[in-house]
Amino acid sequence: MAGRAPIPTSNSALIAMIADEDTVTGFLLAGIGNVDLRRKTNYLIVNNKTTLKAIEEAFKEFTTREDIAIVLISQYVANMIRFLVDRYNKPVPAILEIPSKDHPYDPTQDSVLSRVRYLFSAESVASGRY
Amino acid sequence: MPEMDQIVPVPREDEDEDDGAEEEATEKVGTECKPGADSEEGEDEKVLKFLDSFDAYLVLIDSLSSALRQGWLELACARHSMGSSRISSALFDHKVRSAATTLKVTDSLDSSLSEPNPHFTLSKWGTQEDRCSSEEIELDSMQKKSNQSQLRHRAASNILGEREESNSSGNGPQLSFSKDVQKERAKSLAVFGTLVSPKLRTAQSSFETALERIVEMANARSAMLSAFTQLQLEVKGSEDTTREDTV
Repeated sequence: MAGRAPIPTSNSALIAMIADEDTVTGFLLAGIGNVDLRRKTNYLIVNNKTTLKAIEEAFKEFTTREDIAIVLISQYVANMIRFLVDRYNKPVPAILEIPSKDHPYDPTQDSVLSRVRYLFSAESVASGRY
Repeated sequence: MPEMDQIVPVPREDEDEDDGAEEEATEKVGTECKPGADSEEGEDEKVLKFLDSFDAYLVLIDSLSSALRQGWLELACARHSMGSSRISSALFDHKVRSAATTLKVTDSLDSSLSEPNPHFTLSKWGTQEDRCSSEEIELDSMQKKSNQSQLRHRAASNILGEREESNSSGNGPQLSFSKDVQKERAKSLAVFGTLVSPKLRTAQSSFETALERIVEMANARSAMLSAFTQLQLEVKGSEDTTREDTV
């Protein structure tokens, strides 16, 4: 259809991560770690000392890089920058909220699921009872 | 019975005259009902498609959570046996290196979709296509070398014959591919030292499984959002038609 924005296709796109140490370690074992010529990595390890600004900058950087196709972010980290995550609406890179070791996944907080959930609240029979 | 005659709604005297009018009325009603019925069926189909993709997404999240839990547990066991200093983010150096596991991103072939619908394919430890193309290049270079020298022709043809036999059997490229995969896996493990705990290897396997779930989740997510957008458009379209009808 007219006006459809093209998706940037790629044969060797990266997976970025903003997560706790164990999750990043595990996925680096799986081979997704990348360090480019500018010594920039495709991951950010979040711990007690990580500032909110660092998380925001990492999110903005990963979502604007053309070589990144998926951004994995622990849900508890996504909650810290929820306003940024909810405002993001591009198809690529895809933002996926994942559970962390200490914070199980909560579907009610997921950005994508909350976006489609309003369809049920507007159309469901239960909404008429309130 | 006169009471029964009075109860009958359609008098027989006017039946023939009204038949044609009734038939026309039913035909008109039928034609008016058909597009409405079609639109309802189309909307139902889209609702089902959306709900299926929504369910698939939730199932994949559950599967991912299981794989991650397994991986964290194995990582904790490896840290317990090897020591916490040997499995730490402090070991991650910033030497230039490319990711061994990457993604292939393609656009959806469905041009009727108004929203973009990307499709992700995981390429673990390098793609098989790369392996095949590199072997074809080697074969071509060997053929060139054999053509250049007649003295070596017999030996080279024997080598080529062996190569072709191995390629036709399919074992050669697969063996070299699996060797390369093992090599890449070993490189990732080597960050934590030469001798690593078996639990670290199983943790690597668990996180590879988690990675597969993540790519499936990404595809399910894009399918869900695409179905959701189509459903929104359908609902808006039906609301506009009902408003026009009331006006």
